[in-house]
Amino acid sequence: MASHNVIAESKDVALVEVLDRVLDKGVVISGDLVISVAEVDLVYVGLKALISSVETMERLRGGPFVGPMQEPT
Amino acid sequence: MEQGKELLYLYCVTGKAPDLPKGRDWFDKPFFIQHQGLYAVVSRVPGSEFNEENLKKNLGDLEWVKLHVIMHEQVIEAVMDHACVVPFKFATLFNSEDTLKAMLTEHAPMLKETLQRLQGQEEWGVKIYCDMARLRTWLAQDEEILKIDGGIGSASPGKAFILKKKKEALLNLATTAKLNEYGQASFNQLRDLCSQARINKLLPKEVTEKKEDMILNAAFLISKNAIKPFLETVDRLKARHENDGLAFDCTGPWPPYNFCNWPERTAAHG
Repeated sequence: MASHNVIAESKDVALVEVLDRVLDKGVVISGDLVISVAEVDLVYVGLKALISSVETMERLRGGPFVGPMQEPT
Repeated sequence: MEQGKELLYLYCVTGKAPDLPKGRDWFDKPFFIQHQGLYAVVSRVPGSEFNEENLKKNLGDLEWVKLHVIMHEQVIEAVMDHACVVPFKFATLFNSEDTLKAMLTEHAPMLKETLQRLQGQEEWGVKIYCDMARLRTWLAQDEEILKIDGGIGSASPGKAFILKKKKEALLNLATTAKLNEYGQASFNQLRDLCSQARINKLLPKEVTEKKEDMILNAAFLISKNAIKPFLETVDRLKARHENDGLAFDCTGPWPPYNFCNWPERTAAHG
């Protein structure tokens, strides 16, 4: 079922889709075994330039939808 | 000398010997390390790019980040063609095979449980965008608002000002209500076809580079035999809302980044 992979097949998937996942999601393990990656979060936050505009949107809209949410980052 | 020390970069973990991607210029060909019935897909990467100090520098370079994020994604996509994967976050690095194996030992039960849960499932993403101007134009055809419009024409300047304010407030309220209705209804319909669903933060226009506003950013974990009805539902929603100024971006299958539910990431509200 190799046929419809996101990156492999469709070049028009916006980079933001990939960044949104690879930098922000996926398994995170912490502890002595792993080299510190705290900076990765900072890159993502910077990339999103997130804080004001999204919060404004959610206020405008009267809050986020009801559903399982990611923890705040 | 620290600079040159090689590190192990972990992409993902599988439960069976993975097929590895070929024919690209990875740092070093991805290979796997087998331990406790798990297979860690890794590359050897140079400390000159990935040790703590140099990684921090490179993370400030958007071109470097883009290139490596895409490589990360491509390796995992190649592996997930033939095996269920637990994808790790970008730049998960280990000093040696020993520390990587120690991690696998420590997390083996959780990894195996996750692999079992994700078996036969795919992650898809749906983002909904709204052309606010178009939606507001349409909502301005509401009877009550048209009545106010009529009043504005014949009112004194002071009265007209107040009526305009009132119209604006009504329109804002109606827009909010519509967005909630559309977003929630769409999410609910799609969620009903999935094993798991979650709503992620909205991304601002600076990031999406679209002129429309993002009104829903959701991820779905779907059983492979439910993909077809899921995509058909997305198409129906697209068609239904075409004239409301809504656009649906549906992408997948992705590695299940949103559904690994590791302890550190499950302290969610909701």
